[in-house]
Amino acid sequence: MQSMLTKFESKSSRAKGIAFHSKRPWILVSLHTSTIQLWDYRMGTLIDRFEEHDGPVRGIDFHRTQPLFVSGGDDYKIKVWSYQTRRCLFTLNGHLDYVRTVFFHHELPWILSSSDDQTIRIWNWQNRSLICTMTGHNHYTMCAQFHPKEDLIVSASLDQSVRVWDISGLRKKHSAPTSMTFEDQMARANANQADMFGNTDAVVKFVLEGHDRGVNWVSFHPTLPLIISAGDDRNVKLWRMSETKAWEVDTCRGHFQNSSACLFHPHQDLILSVGEDKTIRVWDLNKRTAVQSFKRENDRFWVIAAHPEINLFAAGHDNGVMVFKLERERPAYAIHQNNLFFINKEKHVRSFDFTQNIQSPSMLSLKKLGAPWVPPRTLSYNPAERSILVTSPADGGTYELINLPKDASGAVEPTDTKRGTGNSAVFVARNRFAVFNSSSQTIDIKDLSNSTTKTIKTPTSINDIYFGGTGCLLLCAPSTVILYDIQQKKTVAELAVSGVKYVVWSNDGLHVALLSKHNVTIVTKTLEQVSSLHETIRIKSATWDDVGVLLYSTLNHIKYTLLNGDNGIIRTLDETIYLTKVKGRSLFCLDRQAKPKLLDIDPTEYRFKLALVKRNYDEMLSIIKTSNLVGQSIISYLQKKGYPEIALQFVQDPQTRFELAIECGNLEVAVEMAKELDRPKLWTRLSAEALSQGNHQVVEMAYQKLRSFDKLSFLYLVTGNIEKLNRMAKIAEHRNDYTARFQNAIYLGDVETRIQMLKEIDLYPLAYVTAKAHGLNEECEAILEASGLTEEDIKIPEISVPTSPSKAIVPTHQKNWPLRTASQSFFERALLGQVESMAIEDEAPSGTNGFGLDEYADNGKRFNGDLLDAEGEEDVTGWNMGDVDLNLEQADELAVETDGAGVGMSEAELWARNSPIAADHVAAGSFETAMQLLNRQVGAVNFEPLKPRFMEIYQASKTYLPATVGLPPLVNYVRRTVEETDSRRILPAIPRDLESVRTNDLRKGLAAMKANNLEEGVKIFRGVLHNLILTTVQNESEVEEAKKIIRTATEYIIAMSIELERRAIENDKSQVKRNLELVAYFTKPILELPHRQIALMTAMRQAFTCQNFVLAGHFASRVLANSSQGKNAETARKIKVRSEREGKDAIEIEYDQFAEFDICAASYTPIYSGQPFIKDPFTGAKYHPRYRGSICRVSQVTEIGAPASGLRLLAQ
Amino acid sequence: MDPFSSEGELLTIHNLFHGGRYSAVINHDTSGLSAENSIPSRVYKIRSQIATGQAAEVAAELEGEDSPDLAVLKAFAEYSQGNTEDAIHTVESLVGSSSDNATVQIIGATVLHLEGRSEEALTLLSKHQGSLEAVALVVQIRLSQNRTDLALKEVLNAKRWAQDSLLVNLAESWVGLRIGGEKYQQAYYVYEELAQAPSTSTPSALIGQAVAELHLGRLPEAEVALQQALEKDPKHADALANMIVLSILAGKEPNEFNENLSLLRDAAPSHPFLTNVAQKSELFDRAAARYTARVRA
Repeated sequence: MQSMLTKFESKSSRAKGIAFHSKRPWILVSLHTSTIQLWDYRMGTLIDRFEEHDGPVRGIDFHRTQPLFVSGGDDYKIKVWSYQTRRCLFTLNGHLDYVRTVFFHHELPWILSSSDDQTIRIWNWQNRSLICTMTGHNHYTMCAQFHPKEDLIVSASLDQSVRVWDISGLRKKHSAPTSMTFEDQMARANANQADMFGNTDAVVKFVLEGHDRGVNWVSFHPTLPLIISAGDDRNVKLWRMSETKAWEVDTCRGHFQNSSACLFHPHQDLILSVGEDKTIRVWDLNKRTAVQSFKRENDRFWVIAAHPEINLFAAGHDNGVMVFKLERERPAYAIHQNNLFFINKEKHVRSFDFTQNIQSPSMLSLKKLGAPWVPPRTLSYNPAERSILVTSPADGGTYELINLPKDASGAVEPTDTKRGTGNSAVFVARNRFAVFNSSSQTIDIKDLSNSTTKTIKTPTSINDIYFGGTGCLLLCAPSTVILYDIQQKKTVAELAVSGVKYVVWSNDGLHVALLSKHNVTIVTKTLEQVSSLHETIRIKSATWDDVGVLLYSTLNHIKYTLLNGDNGIIRTLDETIYLTKVKGRSLFCLDRQAKPKLLDIDPTEYRFKLALVKRNYDEMLSIIKTSNLVGQSIISYLQKKGYPEIALQFVQDPQTRFELAIECGNLEVAVEMAKELDRPKLWTRLSAEALSQGNHQVVEMAYQKLRSFDKLSFLYLVTGNIEKLNRMAKIAEHRNDYTARFQNAIYLGDVETRIQMLKEIDLYPLAYVTAKAHGLNEECEAILEASGLTEEDIKIPEISVPTSPSKAIVPTHQKNWPLRTASQSFFERALLGQVESMAIEDEAPSGTNGFGLDEYADNGKRFNGDLLDAEGEEDVTGWNMGDVDLNLEQADELAVETDGAGVGMSEAELWARNSPIAADHVAAGSFETAMQLLNRQVGAVNFEPLKPRFMEIYQASKTYLPATVGLPPLVNYVRRTVEETDSRRILPAIPRDLESVRTNDLRKGLAAMKANNLEEGVKIFRGVLHNLILTTVQNESEVEEAKKIIRTATEYIIAMSIELERRAIENDKSQVKRNLELVAYFTKPILELPHRQIALMTAMRQAFTCQNFVLAGHFASRVLANSSQGKNAETARKIKVRSEREGKDAIEIEYDQFAEFDICAASYTPIYSGQPFIKDPFTGAKYHPRYRGSICRVSQVTEIGAPASGLRLLAQ
Repeated sequence: MDPFSSEGELLTIHNLFHGGRYSAVINHDTSGLSAENSIPSRVYKIRSQIATGQAAEVAAELEGEDSPDLAVLKAFAEYSQGNTEDAIHTVESLVGSSSDNATVQIIGATVLHLEGRSEEALTLLSKHQGSLEAVALVVQIRLSQNRTDLALKEVLNAKRWAQDSLLVNLAESWVGLRIGGEKYQQAYYVYEELAQAPSTSTPSALIGQAVAELHLGRLPEAEVALQQALEKDPKHADALANMIVLSILAGKEPNEFNENLSLLRDAAPSHPFLTNVAQKSELFDRAAARYTARVRA
């Protein structure tokens, strides 16, 4: 039997009554010492104490919806309390002896009480009156309860009977009728009195006799017509009732002392009872057999209560209460890549696909696993064998190894199950699993046939084992975690972490989160501690984000922690869940009913912190810009982490802004905020910071604000600002502040003022000395005269030459001192828009554009986008070639060959035989046949340019696997037909497939055109051609696409070559005509629209400059036809108007705008329609016939006009 | 008791050797071994020394030894140094005289196979008595002959009596990588298991994992494994060669893997990758010379 899971225990005097709050994690406990305690059993804290009863309190109950509870005690009193105001609201007096139980009605404002005065009473707590007294029991009534739905009451008494009462009459009377006759009113007014004798409101329906001693407790089944009672005869009796009668069904025997209380399990077919024999017993409702029992050493149990909604019970005993649950609610589950495997409440194995958010039907039923009422504990999944290991705590721990069916076809019983005993079982390798036996402290390593291959004695006493990376186990001991190598049978690493219960590996397998009840410890795969954190609330589960953030759930929160230990709350929870996977904003979990759920979370905060830790400023910036990430927590976090300048971006509050600005030395903001707040303290701090930065203008302002005159004076002195210093002297005079005047006079070196001032305050001796020292004899005389003294009266000490204050050498007051550079991070600059790369990096700077067209960059961008859209649909990988036709004749031949001894055919040879594609022959190393094929297909004759491509394909065709020492590596052949094993269908992988050409090279080529980098462009496009001549594709549409890319590349090569040719002669005056012709031909090849505009604009300008107005007009019209808006169109329009006015060409060139013609790719002259021409078999470029037999100028590989069958790219 | 069984004394050294951890083999403490196992353990140590390039020391150390085990090892050490003729001669005579000695079988077959006399090597190996190493060698020779069918037969045979041996698992993976399809994934599991366990995570295991992933088309994963292998041994020729192959398959430009190419040239100038490429480069030039355009431009 599994043991019960204790969730909370309190220590107190004897607990006589218990009540659960239906929503909050609270429990009320009434004690034998007159105290009522309110506990938070989740936190384990005592919330409140209520002490107004005199003597033991036995009855206690929470109201379902109101913030009320009721208690009844040995002082005969029933008290109704508010737990909000924390005081007793009123007392109901009436009982004449101890009150045993009190209960609220589930909907009516009634309280039901039972008492040793042999009565059961119903009270209305709204008008605080007694509305019914039920007599009939002839000994103490120990317990009375309302039926959860019907108008029934059940009571138990020491008179050995259980009674069921019908109170429908009472309800009728108290449910307000719409109109009342006089008689009714009379009857009602006298109701209480009448009841005293008549008992008409509540009548005994059944009297259940069967207990041989007094009955202590009784309760109704929540849904079925069943009653359970517990008595001093040590029996728990089950009763059934119908409309008309009630009878005893069975007795649960087992308690060997008085049984004090009992109840039905709210959701399962179980009965729970407690007794003075110090046990809690669980019984099967249907079989009335004992399922489980739990014994305390010393404490007799007095009461048991069930939580109305969740799987939680509480039992009160001699020394307090214990809150417990009967079974683990954690579902057994395992995660492999994008799949979750779990066992639901029906013990069915199911899977869940995270990518599609779909739950599979049941795959297996594990009904027979373990014992009934005992859910499986863990599940381990083996992807290689598609099998699962399930453990169950039943029978001292068992495990089963089961293969999952290929398809989920319903809850079938597993066939071919292998089982054994053990407390934990996990897969440790593809074909091995470890079984831990707690009692013998051994770990058996078993193979898939369930036979033990080796046995390991655990290095210390451990509680559990977990997968520890391939070939290793993590052993969880009470105070340490050990990484244990199974093969070497030794401890690899050990870390002191206590009480680890669960282990969660990160997706990349580099980190592990060790979860204990209140701690999360993150360690590396070699068990080096990375970080650790403590939670006051129990930790339930955890899962890793792909970016290396651990999300974990406590009883009431989902939280996150970064690897460095920074953590925070993501959201609160209403119910306990078990996290399984997080993907972006989606958090997958299992609830306690083992149903997969999807929660929406906001990962912004931890993404932001992660970006901060990784100094990924771009990401931080984008998070700041796109989300409303504010809040005190993030600000203090940033401040703590030393990023005040970033925190500054979030804050509105001026005080905080000021603090942050000072911290990061951002004076501008600090000044602004100081002005707004205008408090002396702030100015003082500002002045200090400004001074340390050397910004004395801010210092001056701060001093002015502070009216700190002496400091100002000194500042003016050191900055050499004499003018202001003079003004300070004036101010001092004005203020009658002699000290300040004296000081300023000294700073100014102004002796007269000093003497004057000394005289004013009658300090003649000092004035005299001052005058004397400065040799102002006349003044001396005047002083003597004024004071009536003679020179002899004054004894003057030896006077040295007076010094005058040194003057500032550089009058720095005009400008600030060189400032200390305040830290301005990348981030701040980015926010100020100084980092240009962020928003505009895609656009080519127009200055580098040789064509000088402004719209161009935009067009180019749009064009790229179009290209993507148009071709993005086909998602080819180039690895799977699809089906290849099977060649039967060759198959026979092959079968014969492989039978005999001797050397076989290498895979390379097979490739060459299986494929008509040149690229495949190259991969096979059969260069001769490859060349032959190319020669026949596209007339290739000059192979030199293709050599890099040949070697590239060949080099990538094989891998080298080190095998037996001393021998060369085994060579294996890389296939694009990864899933194929039929030797007649296997084909080589060809690097740089169509996809890569499309997404890389082609793009680069177009970008080169955009950037006016024509030599490079020609090279890139030619590279595209050389790549595509040796490639393979997957289907017909890709063949078409490849041909299209070949045509595009060809057109661009021709266009770029024409323009390059033109540039070579551009400045040659004698070639003006040719120049103009070439620029006109440049407009001929079929380019993408924006590039055609470039050609046309160039041609238009050239023609216009050469005063070929008609021609310029023609190009202008074509420009306008393509786009009638923008700067280019504007220019074109002007040129067109001008051209039409002029109406003639200065130079006659060979370009007929009305005729149809192509451009010869060798001579760059027109081939008018009707004229003979000759084509290159590969590129399709046209040439004048005289070029027949020479090498194509575009591809540089193929021979113009060679007979050719066409390029093959598809293997069929 | 079979000394190689899971409880046997030689299991550790056997696994170390075949896991490619030669320095661990050399440093392995064999003083506590029983007398009957001292020769096999010494053989492993000597072979490890040869594998780590200490052939000259070994040859000197074994001078004058005449037991077939040590004599054939001495011959192999000399062979490794390039002194092939004498070595082959010694091997031939040892094969003639003591072809039932396990070491003679293995080393003899290795030398014969290297000399291109694979059939003779197979004949010699066919005399083995329950030696897994001999099985592995047969598998490799069969594979190099492109006789995947016979290699597979050999592996299936061995699996019947040594299901769980590291060597049989490896040999099965070698064959699996030739067969392809689902077998790629199985081979991957074997190597991944080795590569991820700290005690067996060697460059060769990582390379095996990477090769399997590469054949499965999982290039980024393969790259990670190869990088790990190169971290452990930056000059591992096979790791470098596979890295180049991978770079090309991933569509990288030559300048991105040229460094590895030059490292490979330094580390193992005669690596099959380089010799093949050089050979094919010549072939290309020869073949290309047969074609010319009719008209010279």
